[in-house]
Amino acid sequence: MTGVVPLVEARDESIFGSKAVGLGEAAREGLPLPPGIALAGDVVEAVASGEEDAIEEVARLVRDLPVPLAVRSSAVDEDGADASFAGQHLTLLNVASTDAVKDAVREVWWSANSDSAITYRQRVGLFRRPSVGVVVQSLLDPDCAGVMFTRNPITGDNELMIEASWGLGEAVVAGMVIPDNFRVARSGEVLARTPGLKRIRIRALPEGGTREEDVPAELAEKLCVDDAQLAELSALADRCEQVYGQGRDIEFAFAGGSLYLLQCRAVTVGGA
Amino acid sequence: MPGAPVEAIHGVPLFADLDQTELEQVARLFKRRTFAAGETVAKEGSGGAAFFLIESGTATVSVGGQERAGLGPGEYFGEIALIDEGARSATITANEDLVCQGLTYWDFRPLVMENAAICWKLLQFMVARLRSAESRS
Repeated sequence: MTGVVPLVEARDESIFGSKAVGLGEAAREGLPLPPGIALAGDVVEAVASGEEDAIEEVARLVRDLPVPLAVRSSAVDEDGADASFAGQHLTLLNVASTDAVKDAVREVWWSANSDSAITYRQRVGLFRRPSVGVVVQSLLDPDCAGVMFTRNPITGDNELMIEASWGLGEAVVAGMVIPDNFRVARSGEVLARTPGLKRIRIRALPEGGTREEDVPAELAEKLCVDDAQLAELSALADRCEQVYGQGRDIEFAFAGGSLYLLQCRAVTVGGA
Repeated sequence: MPGAPVEAIHGVPLFADLDQTELEQVARLFKRRTFAAGETVAKEGSGGAAFFLIESGTATVSVGGQERAGLGPGEYFGEIALIDEGARSATITANEDLVCQGLTYWDFRPLVMENAAICWKLLQFMVARLRSAESRS
């Protein structure tokens, strides 16, 4: 088996990491994913070391992906039930060219070997050599994006809790805005719509990287997800639970009128 | 060749006594890492993940918030926390864009344990630091 594969072929967590395999399963189930590839841990290590063969192997598959790209870690013991590495390992958004991917992969490798990651590993009793896989996906330029829990992480109720904001979802994940909040019954009935305060949004820059930009005043408190989109999210939540099981933490985006699944993982202990 | 340039590794006193083959083995273990100007490279009290050799740029060493020294190309830092698996003993901040070659704990430890020449050099550095600390107190 090669160490660089389209996401749909990422099947082994011990090789590609849980994030890549989760996305691979989604691709095999026909869930709406941006196109992407998965890099095995040993390929990531080789690219980080500057080995030309590995760099060329990655470049060969990356060339087929529409740019810009998002480069995300997929560590083998990442996102486990007892220890979440979500805040330790890096995601690099808007990598503008295939040439820049190798540098991004090296940065992801270092994020798994950073002082903060090692300190965290010592604290949770995982003080062993990290193996970090990588997912490279086309980066969307979404109208809005956010996170969805298929079980309310605060009350534990069997209902969807959705938080969303304008632009890339990182504004929600990083707590940079007060997102719109929605509660949706599993029947699809919308139980609550609470507008947030979304004064900024994160957009991709043509030359790579991202920037924060001001949201027009009339949009700051306007709901960014309408009822038709909530219905689409509700259907996506059902589909994700059919595929992965109950209690999912989903990252999503709406771009060009379509809903995309960016990530789907088990809700970690303590919820959000 | 992947890893750090052999000549850069040869310039590090820790590895100065290694022969060419050993130097190439060590150099292959290094991975380049870049830090932006102003970025904290290592934080005093944090766990230590890697030993770094500076390829270009400069950095400031501070302890307890007080500047102690500057570092530049060819100089290295971070080996102490890798030896005792303890906390970083100083904070290192990049003065400008800093390009380093890094060797992680996972590669550094077996390297030292399997190479008596490196181990001896390391001992000599530790003793020198101990004497220096004693003379200051």
